[in-house]
Amino acid sequence: MEPVIQLDDVSKAFAGLKQRRLIKHVRKYLSSNGSGFKESFALHQIGLTILRGDKVALVGNNGSGKTTLLKIIAGLYRPTYGRISVDGRVLLLRGVGTGMVDELTVSENLFLYGVIYGMERAKIQEKFDEVMEWAELKDFASAELRTLSSGMRARMAFSLARHFDTDVFLLDEAFAVGDKDFKEKYEEVFRNEKNGDKTYLIATHDLEFARMFCTKTIWLHKGRLMAFGETERILQEYAAPTHADPVN
Amino acid sequence: MFYLAHEAGRSMQLFDRKYFQLLREISVARYKLKDQSTFLGFAWSLLHPLIMLGLMFTLFSGRVGNQINHYAIYLLIGLVQYNHFSSSTNRSMHVLLAMKSLTADAIFPKELLVIGSAIADFVELIAAMLVCLIIAKLSGVELSWPVLALPLVFLFQLTLILWVSLCLSCLYVFVRDLTYIYQAFMRLLLFATPIFYAPSFLEKGPAQYVLWLNPLSHLLNFSRSLILKGEIVPLTQMVLFFAVNLALLYGSIRLFRKCEPVFAEYL
Repeated sequence: MEPVIQLDDVSKAFAGLKQRRLIKHVRKYLSSNGSGFKESFALHQIGLTILRGDKVALVGNNGSGKTTLLKIIAGLYRPTYGRISVDGRVLLLRGVGTGMVDELTVSENLFLYGVIYGMERAKIQEKFDEVMEWAELKDFASAELRTLSSGMRARMAFSLARHFDTDVFLLDEAFAVGDKDFKEKYEEVFRNEKNGDKTYLIATHDLEFARMFCTKTIWLHKGRLMAFGETERILQEYAAPTHADPVN
Repeated sequence: MFYLAHEAGRSMQLFDRKYFQLLREISVARYKLKDQSTFLGFAWSLLHPLIMLGLMFTLFSGRVGNQINHYAIYLLIGLVQYNHFSSSTNRSMHVLLAMKSLTADAIFPKELLVIGSAIADFVELIAAMLVCLIIAKLSGVELSWPVLALPLVFLFQLTLILWVSLCLSCLYVFVRDLTYIYQAFMRLLLFATPIFYAPSFLEKGPAQYVLWLNPLSHLLNFSRSLILKGEIVPLTQMVLFFAVNLALLYGSIRLFRKCEPVFAEYL
């Protein structure tokens, strides 16, 4: 299998909002060593290769750098150091229905959401009834989105996302809010995708889902790559009580 | 073929069918969201200029306006175009922040948010100018065939708004003070644009240069000539105006695309 995502010593640093203030710039200019800005690193020298068709889980505690890594691969952040290459079209799904608008109706949102993620309008039209039926929202087509619960929104977003076409899917806890029935439905979709040629990189805290769908796992901790390899082995290391703070 | 990850958003190209479909959906969404929580909605695009018209007509019709034919319509045209420019650029400036989840979390050309916002507002300009024409006709202005060239003025105004909006929205991501700077600038522009006075009212010298450099004063001149005088301004003047604004639009798209890869970090 050929590589589809390559990261070479990628690091990412952020400067705080307050450091944009004019006074901070003046202080930096006047400081003798010229190093007035304090940068905090969200990722440290990450190097890894993901192959075409890989299903990779991305695990780690909150603040470990999972979202930053996904956003860097998606091209939404630029790496401070290092280089990232991607072969193919990338699609990032963050949260439930990113891009949907509360004040628009369910059907208007479906079209907006679809075209944002690269679907043709005609295809959305063609799949419309099936999408609404899968999401169990047939009676809500003309309801305003804000009247839907977060679980219903998740069903709606995922129902359409099943039809997104891309080479690399980056998912960031995208559909974690659904109920038991929804979980069963989306796990079935992923089970059917398991042997497909699409590449998936999924940030998740659901280790059972990672075991079920992902053949490989990346473990991040405080922005550092702790381990990358076969899912069962990495998850055992990750779940072990001794890893409390391996960086320290 | 491998490409650098930060170029991913550019995989959707200008003039691509999907690009236009996304532009359409964003424009429609922005249009539906506009004035949604107000009672009068779209009517404000004409009510606001009419309120200002009442005030300005009372203040200026005696001395400044007494040498201008159909002064009320002259004022109304100026106020509709100025207000549209002001509100449209202001809304577009904030659109990247207003639709932060899309700007920061979705992969697509972000200039579409700005262009979509400008197009959503543009519908109001067309409607408000049509109402202007009706009011002009009812108040005794003789409309003749040159008025059919008015869509050209709309196109010029859209081009102007697009490049200004692209520059402002891009800069606003990095410099939030721009809100206050732009508010002050728009107040100055109200006086530096011949809305309630004729260009000849100003003395020759620096003030005339300011008018010449102000694209809005040219736009007002174009539309007033068409509606009030029934004349088309010289073709060279229109072509030059459009060419300059088109070049600035091209430059602003280049600037926007250069800054786009770091938007998500600053929002």
